Parts: sequence; structure tokens; C-alpha cells
Amino acid sequence: MTAKIRIRKLLVIPVKMLLAGAMLLPALAPAQEEVASSIRRYKGYEASTGYYEEYEVLPQRQRPFVTIPGVKRGVFPYSPAAAEVRNRSRLADSHLGIKFYETLRCETCHIQEARDIHTVRANLTCRQCHGGEPIASINHYYSPMNPIRRHAYVCAKCHEGASASYAGYVVHEPLAGSLKAKNSFPVLYYAYWFMFVLLVGTLAFFIPHSFLTGLRELFGKKGLPGNEADSKD
Amino acid sequence: MKQTARIKRFNKTDRIFHLFLMLTFLVQSVTGFSRLFHTTGWGRKLSAFLGGYETSFLIHQWVGILMIVGFILHIIYLLTKIQWNNLRASFFGPDSLVPNIHDLRHLGQRILWFFGIGAPPRFDRWTYWEKFDYWAVFWGLPLLAVTGLMLMFPLATSRILPGWSLNVAVLLHKAEAVLATTYIFIVHFFIGHLRPSSFPMNEGMFAGSLELEEVMSEKPAWVERLKNEGRLEAAAAKRPVLWYRVVYFVFGYAALGIGVYLLINGIIYSPYIQLH
Repeated sequence: MTAKIRIRKLLVIPVKMLLAGAMLLPALAPAQEEVASSIRRYKGYEASTGYYEEYEVLPQRQRPFVTIPGVKRGVFPYSPAAAEVRNRSRLADSHLGIKFYETLRCETCHIQEARDIHTVRANLTCRQCHGGEPIASINHYYSPMNPIRRHAYVCAKCHEGASASYAGYVVHEPLAGSLKAKNSFPVLYYAYWFMFVLLVGTLAFFIPHSFLTGLRELFGKKGLPGNEADSKD
Repeated sequence: MKQTARIKRFNKTDRIFHLFLMLTFLVQSVTGFSRLFHTTGWGRKLSAFLGGYETSFLIHQWVGILMIVGFILHIIYLLTKIQWNNLRASFFGPDSLVPNIHDLRHLGQRILWFFGIGAPPRFDRWTYWEKFDYWAVFWGLPLLAVTGLMLMFPLATSRILPGWSLNVAVLLHKAEAVLATTYIFIVHFFIGHLRPSSFPMNEGMFAGSLELEEVMSEKPAWVERLKNEGRLEAAAAKRPVLWYRVVYFVFGYAALGIGVYLLINGIIYSPYIQLH
């Protein structure tokens, strides 16, 4: 019995000491919080300049990383630089070497990209954002489309006050239900299929349910109150 | 005219909330469809009727805010209706709209009844599809509200969330809107207007009362409960006056007409919908 009490005391004392130690620790300093936060850390400064102190940085969360097929990085591995663009994303002239380039129109190759919300609804042309010839790759350092300045050089022309985060809006998004979206924009992909299953499931249940209700009420005898299924309840 | 016994089904507040939801939902459907189908001739006509693409969007935004206010007021109303000293009865009692195990049983019984295998279930105050109607709005509205606010204030949103969340918000907003409109214009309208026991209209939500005989045939357990609790006489209601019936029949059928018009055109032009 005495031994048990002694063991208990031995356990209680370190716990109490730990608690006391935790209470005596200084509160988190704002500077620590700032450095520790992946959302707030020098966000405005980094976003507008592309630099943190003397180091070149990329705006957090909108890093224009180049993805490798089948290899996912992070929870939401989408890059506004378009994930499938791997080899040609840092060229000064992204169309260099394309045969008969002068005779081609943008939509000849970029079919899906030429039919997005900006072109269809706001009547924007490709060059209003991508600039004139030679059209630099979106990740080329001097391109206005480079994520470090896209918000200021491109988005803010219409969306006054656009931030680097705002420029993370994927203008040329993949088809939401496609495998391409699964690889490059999984959140959109799963959101699409969740809503699709919900829509189809709801209607697949309730349309036949309503139809059968109508049919039964039309042709069948209505159940009298005394004859219901659980009248004994 | 022969007076038939009637029973009170909805109080004034319930009916006002329903009327408010009807009006705002229809406005949102028309303005939303005008945007969703803007790439089609029909969508552009709808926009033009509403004063143009931008005006239609403005109406959509303001009515959306009105809906959010209505939803908040509804929450406050619900809080006032909860019996705080008897939470069990409030949440799981027979007058509660919270789904329970009986709903599952009633669903099974109803399916058997569809095929003539069993007797119809004895519903109490709320049937399982009425509960579904209520909860569909209850979770759908916040989803539309949150994504709608995100899209209304994209710059502010991008300060809190990454910009690509706007892509997801567009998708969710449109998909939920399509779900809500198709459900209401097909299922809810059929149940409320067109099924034989409701035709030409289930007047409960407008008159506030229904014929006792009608309620007895579908919700006998409710009538029996009221009788056993001695509340049946207190629940008796008068038939609404003729002019009021004319008003709500015209209004109800106008809503039905708008819904069917949107639904048919929506189906015709559905290949042009882009959910994102």
C-alpha cells in the first residue's frame, strides 16, 4: 500500500512540475507567430516584390512549382502556372520553334483555354493578359504573368487591389470532372464529383419516388387510417 | 357551400418564411439562370428582360443578401421555439423536423405500399420527404451563402484563402443551385401541386390549414396524437375566404409556371452549362 502511494507520488510530482513549467513559459511572441505561420509570413512584402530580405522567394501557397506526373507535392498540388506545362514554362519566347507560328491563332492549339470565363463573359482577348509577341512563358522571370507580379501587372488591370493570393485563381482551369483535374487540381475534381453524386443521387431517388407516389395515388386505393402498416404502434 | 372540418397545419410565421423563400428563390433562379446560360440566346434574352447582364447580377447579389438575412432570422426563430428545459422533446419529439429512425421505417413501408405489398405508413406531423425538403434548404442555403459571399468579395476572400478557392466556390455555387432548382421544380412542385392527393394545390402552406379528411388519410398518427392529447379541437381552423384562395392559387400557379419554364429551358440548354 505504501509502495503504491509512493509510486503515485512519484508520478504526480513530475506531472505537476511539467504543468508548472508550461504555465511559466512565456506567451508566444508575435514575431515567433509570424515566422511560424505559413499564411501570414511577410505575405504582402513577398507577394509584391518576390523577395524576402536578400533572398528571392515565391509567394507562398501560389508557388509556381513544376509538377512531375504522378508525384504530388503538398495537400493541394495545383500550380497557377498550369501543372502540365513542364518544359516550356520558363522561356522568353514560349512559342519559339513552332512551325508556321505566324499563321496560327491562339485557339488553334489552346482550344479549352480560349473558352473560359474571361474570354466568354468579359470578352477579353488572349493578348490582353499574355502580352504581345514574343509571348514569354508564364514563369519566365520577366513575364508579366510570372506569379510574383501577375497580380499587379495583369489581374489588377481589371480587379483593382488584386493580391498574389488573388492571382492564384486558376483562369485556365481543367475540366472539373476530368482525370487531368484529378492530377492537377484535386480539390476541384473531388468537389465536382461530390456534387455530381449528390445531384444524381437525390434526383435518382426522389423522381421515381414522386412518380410512384402519383401512380399509387391515382390507381390504388388509399389506405384507410385503420389499416396502416404500424397501426399497432 | 358545405363546410368541411379543417386542421391547422402551419402558423403565420412558418407561412411568411415560406413565402419569403418562394419569392427570393424564384428571383435567384431567374437571375442565376440568366448568368448560367448567358452563352445561349435564351440566357441573353433572360438577362435582357432583367435589365442586362450586370443588372441581373446586381439583383442576384442583393436578393442573396436578403436570403442570408432571412436565414439568420429563421435560426433566431428556431432558437425561440426550442424548449430549453426539454431538449429531447424539441429535437426528437414527434413535432420535430429532425430525422429519426421512424422516418427510415416509414420509407421502407412506403416503398412496399408503392408496389401494393403493404399498407401505407402512418405518418405523424412530418413525413420523411417533408423533412428532407426542409433540411435540403437548411444545408443548401449556407453553402450558397458562403460561396456566394466568396464570389461577391473575391479580393477579401483571397486575403484569407488562396485564390484557387474561388474556382471551387464557383463550382459549388453553380452545382448546388442546379441541384436546388431541379429538386424544387420537379419534386417539390409535383408533390405540392400535381400528385392526385394534392391536385390542384396543397393549400397548407398558404391557407395555414388543411381539410381534416385529407390529413387523416396521410398523417393519421398526427391526428390521433392530437386527439389523445385533447388538442384536436384547439387545432381546428376555418376555411380561408374566397378572395384569399384566388390570390394564392394564382400566385402558386405563377410560381409553378416560372419553375416549369426555367426547368424546360434549362434542360434544353443544359449542354451549354459550365459548372466552373
